[in-house]
Amino acid sequence: MTRAILLGLLLAASTAARADTPQQVLDMLSQQAGGSASAVRGEKLFRAKSTGGGEAASCTSCHTDDARARGQHVKTHKEIEPLAPVANKERFTDPAKVEKWFKRNCMEVLARACTPQEKADFTAYMLSVR
Amino acid sequence: MGVTIRSLFLLILGVGLMAFWIGSGRADGDAVLPMPAGKLYLNECGGCHTAYAPGFLPARSWKKMLGDLANHFGEDASLDDAQLGAIEKAILPLAADTPSATLLMRRIASGIGPTEAPQRISGSPYFKYMHDEVPSSFWKRAKIGSPANCAACHTRTSEGRYFEREVSIPK
Repeated sequence: MTRAILLGLLLAASTAARADTPQQVLDMLSQQAGGSASAVRGEKLFRAKSTGGGEAASCTSCHTDDARARGQHVKTHKEIEPLAPVANKERFTDPAKVEKWFKRNCMEVLARACTPQEKADFTAYMLSVR
Repeated sequence: MGVTIRSLFLLILGVGLMAFWIGSGRADGDAVLPMPAGKLYLNECGGCHTAYAPGFLPARSWKKMLGDLANHFGEDASLDDAQLGAIEKAILPLAADTPSATLLMRRIASGIGPTEAPQRISGSPYFKYMHDEVPSSFWKRAKIGSPANCAACHTRTSEGRYFEREVSIPK
């Protein structure tokens, strides 16, 4: 019985999502980038076409040109929920999730990791989309 | 012997019980496969594609796949060791050839050679058999695009449900 309760607590603790606001996540990323973030540079990164990566040549390959729209994975065709917090309030609220997808997708599109500055800029742009 | 209230009542009760028994029975075509509990599998293995029910492939296929996630169908889908271990522990007991496999899982497993460790569910004889009436033009529709996109038509894949009556094919 005690074991079951402990296990339950452990499970609850491990699955508890970090509930930050997108602004808090942006502040954190800006800090890591030395204090600045540019939505203009972020939009440029979002729309840039790359030749170095995999099948997705740009962020827009899967997320479409409109960050408020639903996207589709270029290979599996799985539907992707909108990226901009204005259209999807779950976005940019979990720092671990944000980091995970920067890691995966920067590698896929750019064939390299994104810099802290690029992450901050990209996030600033997403939060600026209305 | 005439019709009494009692015999009528017994008749209705009997018919009712029979109807309930038939209605609640598991149909032979119940296409439901067990899914790992919790959100880890759905989040980590359902981010880029449908979170496929582990029962679609034998354990040896999943072991091979988890052993090379850095080259996962051309993408780097690697996980940290803790997540990898947790996912392996969650899915192997639900694989097609698990000792507790359902009839459906046994049927899926029986189509796969004992030394084969296929990586593509859509390449399995069972998948092909179940989808042989789907015209090739359907797979090319914008919202479907690929036989890997189960969730495009099967509306409850995250629960492991692939019932034909729950299929909704996008135009």
